[in-house]
Amino acid sequence: MIEAHFSLVDHHGKSVSEQDFRGSWMLVYFGFTHCKVVCPRSLAKLSSALDALGPGIDRIAPLYITVDPARDTPSVMKDWLEENFPRFTGLTGTEDQIEDAKKAFRVFAQRKADEEDADGYVVPHTAIAYLIDPTGEYRAHFLDSVDGETIAARISDIISREENISNA
Amino acid sequence: MMNRSSLQEDFGALRFQLAYMSYALALTHVHRLPAAPAVFRAPFQRLIEKMLSPDVWTYWRHVSTGNGPMNKSLGELPPQWNPVHDDNIMYSAYIQSMALLYHYLFDDPKYAQPGALTFKIEPLYWGDGGESFEYDEKSLNQRLYWQMVEKGYLGIACEPNCVFQICNQPAILGFRMHDLVYGGSIAEEVTEGYKQAWSEFGITRENGHFNILVMEKEHELLEPPPQGWADFWLGSLINMWNPEIVKSNFPAQIAHWRRDAPEGSMWIEPSVKPEGFGPPLTHAYDFGWAAVCASEVGDADSLDRLLKYADMFMDPVWDNGAYFYPRRDGWFDDQGRLAAMDPHTGNALLGYARLNVPDGLNKLYNNPLTKAHFAQPALVDMSEGIEVREARYHPDTRSLNIAMRPGRCREGFFDLSFANFWGRGSWSLLIDDEVAVEGNDSEVTSSGRAEAHRNGDRLDLRLPAGDHRLEVVWNEA
Repeated sequence: MIEAHFSLVDHHGKSVSEQDFRGSWMLVYFGFTHCKVVCPRSLAKLSSALDALGPGIDRIAPLYITVDPARDTPSVMKDWLEENFPRFTGLTGTEDQIEDAKKAFRVFAQRKADEEDADGYVVPHTAIAYLIDPTGEYRAHFLDSVDGETIAARISDIISREENISNA
Repeated sequence: MMNRSSLQEDFGALRFQLAYMSYALALTHVHRLPAAPAVFRAPFQRLIEKMLSPDVWTYWRHVSTGNGPMNKSLGELPPQWNPVHDDNIMYSAYIQSMALLYHYLFDDPKYAQPGALTFKIEPLYWGDGGESFEYDEKSLNQRLYWQMVEKGYLGIACEPNCVFQICNQPAILGFRMHDLVYGGSIAEEVTEGYKQAWSEFGITRENGHFNILVMEKEHELLEPPPQGWADFWLGSLINMWNPEIVKSNFPAQIAHWRRDAPEGSMWIEPSVKPEGFGPPLTHAYDFGWAAVCASEVGDADSLDRLLKYADMFMDPVWDNGAYFYPRRDGWFDDQGRLAAMDPHTGNALLGYARLNVPDGLNKLYNNPLTKAHFAQPALVDMSEGIEVREARYHPDTRSLNIAMRPGRCREGFFDLSFANFWGRGSWSLLIDDEVAVEGNDSEVTSSGRAEAHRNGDRLDLRLPAGDHRLEVVWNEA
């Protein structure tokens, strides 16, 4: 149901697709850097979950895909993520590329006017983190309501089981 | 009973009749005859089989092209055969919820097998082999879940671009059944997301009537005049997870739509469509849904008055063991009162209303059947043509009570089969208050009033057809 395909640009300016992450697990979250509440809360939680994984984190690529490509250029994403959530690599692209990525992950995001935002809009979005395995298959997703400890335990469990099967 | 339409596109379509018949079976089983799955299981399967028939879902090939008054902004879309892949929640949610309800009620994974829910059409003279789309209850549920996520939990469209509140409620029921069968909390996730998504538009309007639909592309609420069927249909369903909103609005809604009739009966003002807005079919959906909603919210007075009107003025008939109200065309009688009756109301809705109990759907949703329920003695098989009037196991007295009478089977024998019967100690089976069979785990002694024998893990019983009360009492642990 989830087909983890994308063709985007990372926050270093390099073109990337899901193929570049084959061999690694991906933890993918969609959001936008102007997000005031949901993204900072979720990225902080996911970062602490990743910290809790210890050495296992080396096998995971945490990715943050913007739903606001008009404002989230590679450099904007780089500055924001490196300052606040350095574990994550930001991905952006053209409107069409982002639409394709949203469709592949079945993400909802819709621009909405907001007087409190400096540019006059926000982009409410699905707050789900997706775990994709090293072959590119969807393995699990975590809702915003799930705490970091539980996420860490589930990721660890899924990866361990996968490795046990591979080593058997 | 047939209609003047094809029974595919209108609010009395076959899918609605079949689905609400299955919901009525579910409610009756859980609340009235919990120890008699034999009464419900086979009919439930037949309803699901009928739902899979192309006669029920092939309308989607046409409806998926859109370009109607409420989805013209999308232009003409390519026709789709697959009735559950995108949109069409007005069908997909019903087959999803029916399959998962079946699994939950009967603890039977029949529709969890790969391809158990296959939508197939095999034409001889066109289409180069036809179409076939294979699903099972899990893959179908997953399909609907991710569409719901993708839509920000506002809901999945029925016709392209048209997100109706009503038709997303059966999907929520299906999600809940999925949670109860497989674990998880999809229903909670979706209802929380739904509340948030609809807070932008309002589940209800300021005047206390329910909102009906949002146009997806425009992200705008469509605000036709309030409709009785919409108030009562949505109220009947959303009561399962949001009873507060239903119970706070129902009294004013029923007061708005009801019309007094002789001898304390009442009818409901029908929603007559303006000319040119679809085919000029007359119906009693507003009336039927009001009765269902009154039964769900526990408004016994309104329910009694509506059913009284139906029985006095809608010409009910008994036919082959079934009680229903035949179709009648035309809106009003000579007195200006509701005269119309349609197959959906006459076949399904009024029966549903009669069989439901207060908060019936809410309790089905919120009070899961326990493992103990499925381990209790129960009537799990029986011959055709028997009407079961009571079937309940009482753990406190360790007794199973069954009441039955002849339906179509008026002569010969009743053949019954009971599960979870053995390993409970010695027992006595009374027929009409007289001991007819006694036994323990190793032997069965019949008195001559009935034949009984152990058949594997079941007790099989044969007794003469007739009006009977059965009681099985287990004497010791």
